[in-house]
Amino acid sequence: MNEAFLIHSGASALAVAALVALAGWARIARKTPRLDETRARALLAEDFPDEILEQVWLASDGAGAIAKSGASALLLMRVGDSYAARQIPWVKAIAAGTRDGEVAFTPGDAAAPRLRLNLATWPPKGLAA
Amino acid sequence: MKFDPVALATPFFILTVILEIVLARLEKVDARYEAKDTAVSLTMGLGSTIAGVLIGGATFAASLWVYQHRMFNIPMTAIWAWGAIFLLEDLTYYWFHRMSHERRIWWAAHVNHHSSQHYNLGTALRQTWTGGIAGTWALWLPLSFLGFPPAMVAIEKGISLVYQYWIHTETIRRLPPWFEAVFNTPSHHRVHHARNPRYLDRNYAGILIIWDRLFGTFQPELDEEPCRYGLVKNLATFNILRVAFHEWMAIATDLVREPRHALGWLFGPPGWSPDGSRQTSREIKQAWASRIQEAPKKAA
Repeated sequence: MNEAFLIHSGASALAVAALVALAGWARIARKTPRLDETRARALLAEDFPDEILEQVWLASDGAGAIAKSGASALLLMRVGDSYAARQIPWVKAIAAGTRDGEVAFTPGDAAAPRLRLNLATWPPKGLAA
Repeated sequence: MKFDPVALATPFFILTVILEIVLARLEKVDARYEAKDTAVSLTMGLGSTIAGVLIGGATFAASLWVYQHRMFNIPMTAIWAWGAIFLLEDLTYYWFHRMSHERRIWWAAHVNHHSSQHYNLGTALRQTWTGGIAGTWALWLPLSFLGFPPAMVAIEKGISLVYQYWIHTETIRRLPPWFEAVFNTPSHHRVHHARNPRYLDRNYAGILIIWDRLFGTFQPELDEEPCRYGLVKNLATFNILRVAFHEWMAIATDLVREPRHALGWLFGPPGWSPDGSRQTSREIKQAWASRIQEAPKKAA
């Protein structure tokens, strides 16, 4: 690797840092108000249009939700100013452990290794088994 | 002196990203930037440049070797030759891009360009780190075999990449109809980046949208259906290594678990699985079409 390449890469790295700082300063991300049930259902319907949601539990910080659909759990988590959703077996969802006050769901997906939701009580009473 | 359109355009890239952010901040244009998402996009761009340098020597050597066995001598100084390389490179790009969406091994290298849920000039720079490994560069070798000098092919590829930069924006809605008919535009490419079933696997064009019209993959942007950007299954992380390699990791997991289906895992369409438990783009579109057909019946 020659000197010019190193200079070019170093300058590019500085430009990246400056642009990220500018994007943060500008505050032009999408607005992400606390999720309510209507919005959570709408977002889940985008990813799982054929699923019928029996019940939805909202994260207490409004940054996600979990829904029961038959033998599946549908997970929704805020990522930046957007959302990611995954489907896992319900039995796996109710067995999820709590870490740092959040329930950590593991879809077994390299693109979504862990989805953490701030759920006040988990698993829900009466649906735990 | 080496002519590299991408290197020459880098200051333009930086200035226009600044311009888009500042104009959005001033509410003059409708653009959205999220800091972590922007960091991932730009770091992927920087890493792609470094990966390109690391593997560029080998790919250029391959094209030189093929050129030594060329069919014709095509002069770099002839205008007709530049017209021909423009069309042939753009056609090659169309098929490269289509393969990159329709076969999982190449999708693994391309997926990260689509992994942002934003569509802005920063997204344009979210480029692959693993394109060289995926080997799609070999698709351009026939051009050198025909007799186009490798430098000429490299310049045309650079021009195409620079052209495709400016179409990654929501600030430009529609261009004049004659332009939309012939060229790839922000509107056409928004469709390409959308995850709406209707828009999946459409508009693969580089510079000329005519290839999509010709090969049946064109889909206009519809005002009644706004684009939702990102992947069918969006990333739940900003970890740059997962962004760069997640589909390769998923392929490796599938290969280890069920090696007898290796061909399907590698060369099947993204979403293919031997038991049909996952959905390909085609299946997602079919399910969507069925829902559309069923909706009026349910309403009646």
